[in-house]
Amino acid sequence: MRRTTIVAMLLAGTITAPLAAETTRWVERTKVDIRAGRGSFYEIVDTVLKGEQVEVLKSEDKWASVRTARAKTGWVYEAALKPTPIQPGTSDFLKAAPGDISTSRTAASQGAKGVYAQDYAKQKGYDYGIVTWVEAHQPDGPQIEAFLKDPGDKTGGAR
Amino acid sequence: MTGRAFALRAVGLVLVLVGCESGGGPSGVPGAVFGGMTRGLTGVNPADARAATTDIDEPEEIELGRAVTTALGSRYTLLRDEPLTRYVALVGNAVAVQSDRPDLHYYFGVLDTDEINAFAAPGGYVLVTRGTLALMRDEAALAGVLGHEVGHVALRHHNETIKEERQSALKKAGFLSLTQIGLGFAHVGGAGDVALHTFAPIALKAGADTTFSALLKGHSRKEEGEADGVGFKYAARAGYDPAGLRDFLQAVQESGKQPAKSGLFAKWASTHPGTDDRLKEQETLLKAQPAGGRRAAARFQQAMAAVPAAR
Repeated sequence: MRRTTIVAMLLAGTITAPLAAETTRWVERTKVDIRAGRGSFYEIVDTVLKGEQVEVLKSEDKWASVRTARAKTGWVYEAALKPTPIQPGTSDFLKAAPGDISTSRTAASQGAKGVYAQDYAKQKGYDYGIVTWVEAHQPDGPQIEAFLKDPGDKTGGAR
Repeated sequence: MTGRAFALRAVGLVLVLVGCESGGGPSGVPGAVFGGMTRGLTGVNPADARAATTDIDEPEEIELGRAVTTALGSRYTLLRDEPLTRYVALVGNAVAVQSDRPDLHYYFGVLDTDEINAFAAPGGYVLVTRGTLALMRDEAALAGVLGHEVGHVALRHHNETIKEERQSALKKAGFLSLTQIGLGFAHVGGAGDVALHTFAPIALKAGADTTFSALLKGHSRKEEGEADGVGFKYAARAGYDPAGLRDFLQAVQESGKQPAKSGLFAKWASTHPGTDDRLKEQETLLKAQPAGGRRAAARFQQAMAAVPAAR
């Protein structure tokens, strides 16, 4: 590929270069969980808000190891970060959320803690218990990690 | 934010959601009137507010997913089998980490029905039926089907449906919106909580209804084709034989059972040609893929041993 093409693609954001160590990046999404490992099932070590600055320590397979303003270190998916400053601000949806959901570092993966979905279920006469049960019966991080390392049996038909 | 300010902001959100289109709506009420009202009440440019309202961020998507899951629960019974749920979720996560949204937290469950189906709600809530599992012979097939469902989430197919629906609603300025605005004013000056529970869930409720309805009707053939394609890719990346999805589709055909006309097969169910097209596409993908990958039939059969028999 010609150099000019590569430069053009980098500028257009269609490809991304690996992040150099100690690079500053800004959070582009409303809220992002910083996790202990490269996966959504790892423990949350911190949650960063839109516009927050993080320092990238290293980059592996589209995940960046970052240090937050609270000196917490963990992994975040690179797509959630931008190389230029981002205006802080929450979404209209979270802005209208009760209590501390919109402004606090409530985990991104908690959505709005189910407040709206429970309200919806109540209005429609649905049972929110299905969500509670499913959320409570997922494998934990170590179980998923062990499963991913287990190649499984080779049994089964060929193509 | 005071309760009054919050209520005014929420009224603005409702105005934008149900009735503001610069250029006027079909009722003959000029959009500029709504726009002016919105700006006057909240100081927000209606165009900016409209963009914010139709865009869906991850926390909202997760809430929508929960709401849609409760709607699915009104139609199906959840199979509350802990080991089976955990097993399906382990396979689902193995595929999801290879997806285009590996940073999203996915949840997996099993619906207690003989119906051959699977659903993906926004935000990563994936439910597969017992009837679907019963047609599979190995883990590779499960990985293929879950890969397809994860694909809908990773490609944000629901978000597009909801955005289109919201944008369409915005074009329909009418007396309904005036009624809702009136209801909104009735709460201005009340406690913040009253305003919140009156206005903020409206967007979510509409989104959840739209998504649930879309799930039952099924995604477009184009989206289903895309989900088949990425499902194949995610399963292969996870180390499975990506022929699993093809095997499952073949098993559906050979079973002679009619898949449900919703969810996974909605746009294909009526039609063998539909499933034939999908199989043909999977064969094309397989030709370009080196043979191999795990099947894990023994582990799958062991996990299925405790699944209640068809009723």
